[in-house]
Amino acid sequence: MLALRLARGARPGATLRRLLVAGASAGVGFLLLAALGQASVPWLLWCAVPMAAVTHFAVVVARTDPYARPTAVQAAAGFGPVNVPVLAAVSTLVSCLAGSAVGLLFFLHLRGEIAGLPFDGAAAGLLGAGGPLPPAAALTLLVVPPVLAAGASAFGLRPVAAAPAPSGDRAAGLSAPGDLPWGAALVATGLAIGAYASRSGAGGGLGELSPAVLGSWGVIALGMVLAGPGMTYLAGRALCVLRPGALRLFAGRVLLEEARRIGRPLGALSAVGAGILVTLQAGGQGPRLGPIVVTGAGLVVGCAVATVLIAALETRGVRADTTAALRRLGTPAGVLRGAVALRAAALVAVFGPAVVLVAQLAVLPLR
Amino acid sequence: MAPPDNDVLFSRSLHYSYGTTPALAGVSLGVGEGEVLAVDGPRGSGKTTLLRCLSGQLKPEQGEVWFNSGAVHTLSAARRERLRLTRFGWIDTRPELVPELRAWENAALPLLLAGESHRRARKAAGEWLDRLDAGDLMKARPRSLTPAQAQRVAIARALVHEPAVVFADEPTAALHTMEGAQVLRTLIAACRSHGVTTVVASHLHQAVDLADRVVTLVDGRVRGTAVRTPRPTAEDSCSLSV
Repeated sequence: MLALRLARGARPGATLRRLLVAGASAGVGFLLLAALGQASVPWLLWCAVPMAAVTHFAVVVARTDPYARPTAVQAAAGFGPVNVPVLAAVSTLVSCLAGSAVGLLFFLHLRGEIAGLPFDGAAAGLLGAGGPLPPAAALTLLVVPPVLAAGASAFGLRPVAAAPAPSGDRAAGLSAPGDLPWGAALVATGLAIGAYASRSGAGGGLGELSPAVLGSWGVIALGMVLAGPGMTYLAGRALCVLRPGALRLFAGRVLLEEARRIGRPLGALSAVGAGILVTLQAGGQGPRLGPIVVTGAGLVVGCAVATVLIAALETRGVRADTTAALRRLGTPAGVLRGAVALRAAALVAVFGPAVVLVAQLAVLPLR
Repeated sequence: MAPPDNDVLFSRSLHYSYGTTPALAGVSLGVGEGEVLAVDGPRGSGKTTLLRCLSGQLKPEQGEVWFNSGAVHTLSAARRERLRLTRFGWIDTRPELVPELRAWENAALPLLLAGESHRRARKAAGEWLDRLDAGDLMKARPRSLTPAQAQRVAIARALVHEPAVVFADEPTAALHTMEGAQVLRTLIAACRSHGVTTVVASHLHQAVDLADRVVTLVDGRVRGTAVRTPRPTAEDSCSLSV
């Protein structure tokens, strides 16, 4: 109940983020039902990709919620860090269930089973109208994304034990994330698998592509997500070389500090970007771009972009005290805005070429 | 009307309120060049608001603030910002260091923001940290500092650009009594030896014994002013900086 009360009194920004989660969950529910309508197991498996994107998005939104970091006073009043995972799980569950219900309605409407609205049955053929839709299977599928998202939110916001006495760079969170080599290795492995699999060339996957090629893309995407924090760290390091002034110090050191927070969403976004590039360049060899695929791809892209934006918002919230202190010293707002712009430019400069390179290498064997 | 010539900083009939709650109700005071003024009073008496009005962070609703015969209350926000960055130093209750920057980078921040060269900013910050007994912390990150050490770095940041006036808003409230007294003595001794005008807010009379003059605020009004005579000489202040 507390979660509902908090949701009712939330600020417009928080409500909007919750609505976005509900919308994303509706999209996943719709895709799952479409797969069920077609009675196609590969389609159902493919829904794991948008589901992962939505779950990630829901976790980031839960982390940005105002109650995710209770103040000492709230903790003293009994509303402390132990309650946060429960609240996060409940509010994520509620918004995702609402989204699933909307997805179900939308699906039934487009399938032509709810009459009286425009576009009735507009996609009847695509969604397998006329075929049976087992209610138990449909409900089970619809409950999966909310439960996953709620569990992941609770896990993402679990109270962590107080860190041991800080010392040196590691305690300050400025040490390099160790995932970059692993990410690079996974990307290389994925590229190798793709090159090997496309020689043997067997159908059965999505469109003209063999399951092995698609699997290799999955490995590449995973590698890029893993490499994200390390690449963000590199961008920060590059900004701070050669006697930096205030602008470069602000821009670069914050990237080092926040590499873990914003690196993963950035890695996911660049994996999505590479996927789009590959699909566009592969032409007839790539996946067939039917309406369902486009819906799924749109959902994944939307979630990846929104996740990056909300992670940036979270970073801003975490740094609000420092920003206020800098303003008290008389730091011009232009310097702080310039640091943000410089940070974005550095990230584009590091991630952009990497995305293009990976996409070119991945599409090479398909030509 | 121009302010008295001998005062570096001067306020006349300052009014400021948060919503309907008045914080300052007609505060007039002047601070002479090189003077150490303590603003004393209980919590909620308007000390912080007074310091923020004097340093140009807040624009008073009524009344005037003059600095070096120039009006502060009529300046635009950007000009007041520039004034804070170049002529004023500010020390908060909590050190509020930038967590990503090393101690010397934090201390050198005003110089770096003013476009000073990296080498000179580092040298100046190092000298100030040495003077404040924090010379061995140059490369430390704020998270590894004790509160007293962090506050020393914050004091270095407030003094590194050789400001005309330093404002300290209860600089020792978050420290243990002994450490706090030592930090406060170090701050005031440093300001005296460099002729920096100092306005320090304190409750529990911590700064009263060290200041040249004490203004007591109660409920946003000046309740009384006490001048400490004789003013401590340079030798006295040196002996204080243990």
